[in-house]
Amino acid sequence: MSQMSKDLISILPQIIILVTAIVALIFEMLRKPLGSLFGLITGLLAAGVLAITRLGTSETAFHETFRLDSLSHWAVIILAGSGILSALLCRAELKGSQREGTLYSLMGFSTLGAALLAGSGDLMFLVLGVLMNSLSGFAMAAFPKTDKATEGAIKYFIYGSVTGAVMLFGLTYWAGISGGTLISMISGNMNQPYVMLFGFASLICGLGYAASLFPFHFWTPDTFQGAPVSIAAFLSVTPKIGAFFALAQVMKYLPQKTVDYNLILAILAVLSMTYGNVVALWQKNLIRLLSYSTIAQAGFFLLGIVAINQSELAISSLVIFSLAYAAMNIGAFAIVQQVGKKLTRMEGLARRNLFLAAAMTIFLLSLVGIPPLAGFAGKFLLFTAALDSGYVGLAVAAILNSVLSLAVYLRIISPMFFREEHPIEFGLSPWTRTVYISCFVVTIVAGITVQWLL
Amino acid sequence: MNEIPLLTLSLFIPLLGSILLLFLKPQGHRIPNLIAVTAAALSAAGVILMGLRGITADFSQIEEVEWIPSLGAAYRLGVDGISYTAVLLTALLFLFTGIFSTRIRKKSSAFMALFLMLETACLGVFMSLDLLLFYVFFEVTLVGMYFIIAGWGHENRKKAAIMFFIYTLIGSLLLLLGLLSLYLHSDPHTFDMRELVANPPLSGMAALLTFWALFLAFAIKTPLFPFHSWLPMAHTEAPAEGSAILAGILLKLGAYGFIRFAFQMTPEAFAANAWIVIVVAVVSVIYGALVAMAQTDIKRMVAYTSINHMGYLVFGVAIATLGTTTAAERALDGATLQMFSHGIVTGLLFLLIGSIQERTTTREMPALKGLLKVYPLLSGFFILAAFASLGLPGLAHFPAEFQIFLGGYEISPITVAIVLLGLVLTSALYLRAIQRSFMGAEDRTVLEKMKDLDSRELWTFIPLVILIILIGIFPDILLNFIHETTKLITV
Repeated sequence: MSQMSKDLISILPQIIILVTAIVALIFEMLRKPLGSLFGLITGLLAAGVLAITRLGTSETAFHETFRLDSLSHWAVIILAGSGILSALLCRAELKGSQREGTLYSLMGFSTLGAALLAGSGDLMFLVLGVLMNSLSGFAMAAFPKTDKATEGAIKYFIYGSVTGAVMLFGLTYWAGISGGTLISMISGNMNQPYVMLFGFASLICGLGYAASLFPFHFWTPDTFQGAPVSIAAFLSVTPKIGAFFALAQVMKYLPQKTVDYNLILAILAVLSMTYGNVVALWQKNLIRLLSYSTIAQAGFFLLGIVAINQSELAISSLVIFSLAYAAMNIGAFAIVQQVGKKLTRMEGLARRNLFLAAAMTIFLLSLVGIPPLAGFAGKFLLFTAALDSGYVGLAVAAILNSVLSLAVYLRIISPMFFREEHPIEFGLSPWTRTVYISCFVVTIVAGITVQWLL
Repeated sequence: MNEIPLLTLSLFIPLLGSILLLFLKPQGHRIPNLIAVTAAALSAAGVILMGLRGITADFSQIEEVEWIPSLGAAYRLGVDGISYTAVLLTALLFLFTGIFSTRIRKKSSAFMALFLMLETACLGVFMSLDLLLFYVFFEVTLVGMYFIIAGWGHENRKKAAIMFFIYTLIGSLLLLLGLLSLYLHSDPHTFDMRELVANPPLSGMAALLTFWALFLAFAIKTPLFPFHSWLPMAHTEAPAEGSAILAGILLKLGAYGFIRFAFQMTPEAFAANAWIVIVVAVVSVIYGALVAMAQTDIKRMVAYTSINHMGYLVFGVAIATLGTTTAAERALDGATLQMFSHGIVTGLLFLLIGSIQERTTTREMPALKGLLKVYPLLSGFFILAAFASLGLPGLAHFPAEFQIFLGGYEISPITVAIVLLGLVLTSALYLRAIQRSFMGAEDRTVLEKMKDLDSRELWTFIPLVILIILIGIFPDILLNFIHETTKLITV
């Protein structure tokens, strides 16, 4: 077999995602949104299963420009799962609206972008991934054509264009001094600290935007609030996981001797966690609250990335936390979609639907990191990895932020159980129910059975 | 080993009951009560059988299953003299509190489900021989207690519950840091507590930092002055059952942690800083007693005496790091017994206050007058429990505190003299409370004649009173195996 066909087989999961997105688009042209939906689900399922069978293997394709290591396999699995769940939420929320099928197609493209980011072995994949991700995200956010949605989408678009341009500009410096675009080549650039630092700063700018990391998060609350809840759920998970995995791929090769890049990441982590949690304390709109909480959670991802060269647990901590984050975050958004966007709508939820309230509580406690839930398993590994690499201060800051985040999430939990019922009824959609039940199961089971995932 | 896994059974029967309640969602209160009391009784029976099998000095009755082998974490349970004391206390107090709480009519099945979940979590903390497992159970207790306070408490319950949850979560996350530090310094990395106890992995600065992380975590939980501010509020607002479990069991999580982690896993750092701990403990003893004296709310008063009693306990543990072998054994024996005594005595006091409040609808001592005339039986039990709490010989606290003082005397007679002052203060405050609330002529506008204790209350109070007297007169029932373990660990 030629090298070319071997490489193509290696990236088969990514190819499947691409084909899926195209198939979803074709069904949309035929005005068959259900076809798009099931096309997407089948395709993502196939890609995910294929990636599962490849766990444990590690190779590169196309002259090391694309990596198929555990990070990129896991990215496909997690992204496929969150793509499917978000698509189901989408169906529940936007069923019958015009151009519904385009959303499923765009989700496919965005997922592909994130999957490419997670496996990047070349600077061009970083750029390509971020662009695919954000362009399709922008179109999805603008879907409802309301003022708020348009405003949010424009913000997302402008931030994305500027940070993307800055990133591209900065990365040309890296390519310039290394004499090539392979990420592994940057490890040789020991004596050019300022150029390297400039490239790094611009990279953080681009990836930080996709991951809604402080201080590149400003688009997040507005875009999430304007977009349909299901799209917000998708945007809070897929680009974030892609961007952080990409950053992890880069950090493996960044020469640490002359500049302490980890210190920069650690500072960003603390700022992001603290800012997200503190601002979330004042929010009255659930979507805005959750979007600030995703900014805070972004900081936690960085704990694993900081440790990537020093701790064996770093990769698994990143993977487990991403899995947990995807499940609990989509779960929480699903329940918000069902109940309503205002914080007051949560009042007395336990009286109306105990399981819904219990599931929401589980998602939120898991976001805090209460054992034995999935979020605890993830955070526990992240803390261990950070301590193992000697970042005690960062671990302490993360721990204090977990306490702060409890204060945030109790603002949702407490009224659900201890207030009178909110007068407005809400319907129950079977699609949404499937989503939050799946997330509920993953959040509980992944926490107890971590050993199979490690 | 083909023996029945008694530990696992006693641990998970309450959880099973809890799950049963969640799925059956029985209406009314009869079925939830039946399930809860049966589960708690079965679990207690299992724990007693465990004791009959024989408790050895080192960890025994080990039950071990692989969990996360790549991290060195496993499902490991086992008991020694110290943890068995705590396990026994937990099983018994949950059983009797469970009987008491059959009075609850508001969402009774939800309450019982939480209550049973809390029992599993508390038992799990004391039975775990694995740091990760320990931490999992430790955190679940917070969630359970949060919902019990917020759901069934008094007027300011939501604020109190949130304060309790957030404040103690700070403590448990510090604990997580300490545990991770122990794990990362062990070689090969392991969460096995037996390993960490046998070869404390830390030294130097790392040991010092870890010790302080553990100290803060347990000082918040126990609580010691100045980390106690969550306690009075949580107690005042919690329902009687919640207070009994909070004071009786959850505070012991901190006390047990001091012995098992700070004392056994960072021994050198603890010994080097023992005097700071002793000062904090002594201040807690005096402060707790003085503030308790200033209270007019009888429940708040008892809550503050917990700070005083826990002060003795931590004083005993700190003394044990300094003393000669005999002094250390005595102090540690006393401290371990104090866990049990404080659990049953304060548990009983809070349940009795629940009964008083149900009848009089107030807890203000000036308003409660002449209780003894109106409710002789209830008052009699309260006076007995109060006497036990102030350390009267022949009742449960005396043998514990006596041994702590005896051990302490060898190290520093002056400190013991100061600590004894706390004993005088508690005697004064209890006598004054008894005089104010139970003696004198009753105020008919407050006290309507209601039935004295009903059978549910008798089933709760009589066994606890018998236990208090039994431990007071024959402390050897427990001290026999406690002493074996303390002999082993103070060498």
